[in-house]
Amino acid sequence: MPPAAATKRGHAPPDGGWGWAVVFGAFISIGFSYAFPKSLTIYFKEIQEYFTVSYSEIAWLSSVMLASMYAGGPVSSILVNRYGSRPVVMVGGLMVSAGMVLASFGRTIMHLYLCVGVIGGLGLALNLQPALTIIGTYFQVKRPMANGIAMAGSPVILFTLAPLNQFLFDSFGWRGSFLILGGIVLNCCVAGALMRPVNNNTRPKPKTEPPEHESESQGCLHKFIDVSLFKHRGFLIYLIGNVVMFFGFFAPVVFMAAYAKHQGIDEYSAAFLLSIFALVDMFMRPATGFIGNSKWVRPRIQYFFSFAVSFNGVCHLLCPLLPGYVGLVVYAVIFGLAFGMVCALLFEVLMDLVGAKRFSSAVGLVTIIECGPVLLGPPLSGALVDIFGEYKYMYYACGVFMLVPGIFFFIMHYFNYKKLDEEKRQNVPVDMRTCEEAVQLKMSQDSNTAHDTDG
Amino acid sequence: MAASWKRLLFHILLLLVSCRHINTKTPGPTPPPLVPISSLPTDERSVSLKGESHTENVELLNPVNLALQCTWTGNQNKLPNITGFWRKDGDEVENSRVTVQLEGDEYELKRVFSIVSEESLGSYSCVFGSEAKIEFVLAAPQIGEVRDKPIVSYVGDSVVIACKMEETKPKPGSWNWYKANGTDKEQIFVVAEPLRYEIKNEERKTKLVVHNLTEADGGLYYCGAVYAISTTMGHVELKVISFQEPLKPFIAIVIEVIVLVAAILLYEKSQSKKNYTEGNGATDQMNTMTQGENNGPEGSSSTRQRKI
Repeated sequence: MPPAAATKRGHAPPDGGWGWAVVFGAFISIGFSYAFPKSLTIYFKEIQEYFTVSYSEIAWLSSVMLASMYAGGPVSSILVNRYGSRPVVMVGGLMVSAGMVLASFGRTIMHLYLCVGVIGGLGLALNLQPALTIIGTYFQVKRPMANGIAMAGSPVILFTLAPLNQFLFDSFGWRGSFLILGGIVLNCCVAGALMRPVNNNTRPKPKTEPPEHESESQGCLHKFIDVSLFKHRGFLIYLIGNVVMFFGFFAPVVFMAAYAKHQGIDEYSAAFLLSIFALVDMFMRPATGFIGNSKWVRPRIQYFFSFAVSFNGVCHLLCPLLPGYVGLVVYAVIFGLAFGMVCALLFEVLMDLVGAKRFSSAVGLVTIIECGPVLLGPPLSGALVDIFGEYKYMYYACGVFMLVPGIFFFIMHYFNYKKLDEEKRQNVPVDMRTCEEAVQLKMSQDSNTAHDTDG
Repeated sequence: MAASWKRLLFHILLLLVSCRHINTKTPGPTPPPLVPISSLPTDERSVSLKGESHTENVELLNPVNLALQCTWTGNQNKLPNITGFWRKDGDEVENSRVTVQLEGDEYELKRVFSIVSEESLGSYSCVFGSEAKIEFVLAAPQIGEVRDKPIVSYVGDSVVIACKMEETKPKPGSWNWYKANGTDKEQIFVVAEPLRYEIKNEERKTKLVVHNLTEADGGLYYCGAVYAISTTMGHVELKVISFQEPLKPFIAIVIEVIVLVAAILLYEKSQSKKNYTEGNGATDQMNTMTQGENNGPEGSSSTRQRKI
């Protein structure tokens, strides 16, 4: 049985029907959450001149926004656990919009840090978590597919925002652009409107019941966020591996164009590499979801994730060996494949480990802990480049930072699966860890009947 | 100092040697020199041409006596004598037409020009017969990175317009700013309007800050990098718009969002009303059917689950 999310449910997840509209809503929310901070960099040069600040001061804007987004994770989880996804996403959309509109009137750089960085970042956090959580409530059998499609929102929205931001900048300067972006990001509220709580159609239930039941057995804090997750084997494996992995995850993307220019490639071809990467990433995410859904992969999806992480590692270790522009294009394509695979599975495997009900708390805890490596990764890599004067050591470091967790995942999940199978065989009242595993087997057996019944 | 005198001597010797073959040679075209020609430093540029034409860019900072030397390997029928002459900016230089002898399988043309001011800069070409041409483009360092798209700012706001001379090029002595007025350029003097304009100069960068913008402030602005030989210009266009401009698309998008959200919520309400009235009995049935799988708080716990 699919463990329900904190919202109440009286029936199995629909795995279709309105679920696809929810996936579209999640696509938009997740897309804005990841793509919005990256797309703002286009305005940095002019803002830097306008306020007469140094390059690192303006780069802080991105960092503050990203830090707010990650630190806001637990807040988001608590709110989702209490109120469900829809209101949280809508409030998040309003927050980002308000932040951008206020920023367009900014007189100092501090003003921008607060409005775009803190308020905007927090608003994006309120978009990301609920979007991921609600997929778990609507999908069980087709969940990897749904996750893959929703995560594809990030590259697609980045692809649209990048030229749009350039156009806005040329037409309206940075102030007008921020105002209009405040409007555009309001579409997250539309996405939120689509995130209908899953049992709305069947039977309205009093919202206070589940939390009360839970709090009796778990204590005060658990009314808000589930910290017993830190005793959960699968969660710990995920957390440890991810913390190490994120040191080397984003830096290669950040430095791709710079590395190309360092090799003597002109600016446009270097930018084109990023476009190739984004395009491959865009298609790989739903494709990975599809593969993850197949009956061979689904029961052992953790191995698929381990493979994806290791693949990234190998890719970066081999990158410095590929010569010339053709080599870089090949690298961009393979990196796009690897990156897309990991991103599509990133939250799916967490859902698989902890179950949809605890997912909201899990993802909140994970994002706030990942905040550190995500923010430190690129500057540390940059420092490596500065110290050695060339990029290959940075790529080796990133490769190691991804290969080691990949192998770690393989080994730990081998043991974890063994333990889960043992626990299932012993037939004791198993906890949520085994629940998911049992469901996978049942679902893969029932996949035929499920296909018949889904809408 | 000794080296440049030696070079000058060498040039004079060359001149004398070539005098045997060339009938007349007069100093290059110059406006009445303000500085005696002999007190200018000298420099030389030479190009060897293998094809039909070539263009060479020469960057100059200070007034100089520039010797331009052209060498041509000739074409299939290597005539022993051809006519060669010099052009400046498309017009033939007076008394520059000479007969060039084929020496060591090559033809050579050489002339010294006095480059003293902006008028002396431009395009100098040596032409061999009617076939080969080498063009020397003499100019002060050009400002490379200029924004080709207009800078957009708002009424009442302030704007920063910047010009930069690349690191690879020599730095200018100073910078000037001009605003286009019809076809003229008017120089901007900060002392005249200190509240409105600010000029911040660094060695290679200059910034013009304009405060309290009005629509009339829009237009072309020129930054001039001042070198001893001339001032090179870069231009940037400024557009000043009112805040209503971005407000219109913003309001349009907000309306679109409100409409969509209302539509989605209304659709959902109508759906749930339908389901509630129709399915009230059916849902109870469905619940008993799924009792064994029920995970809700009021459901029974199976051996497969543990309530948390």
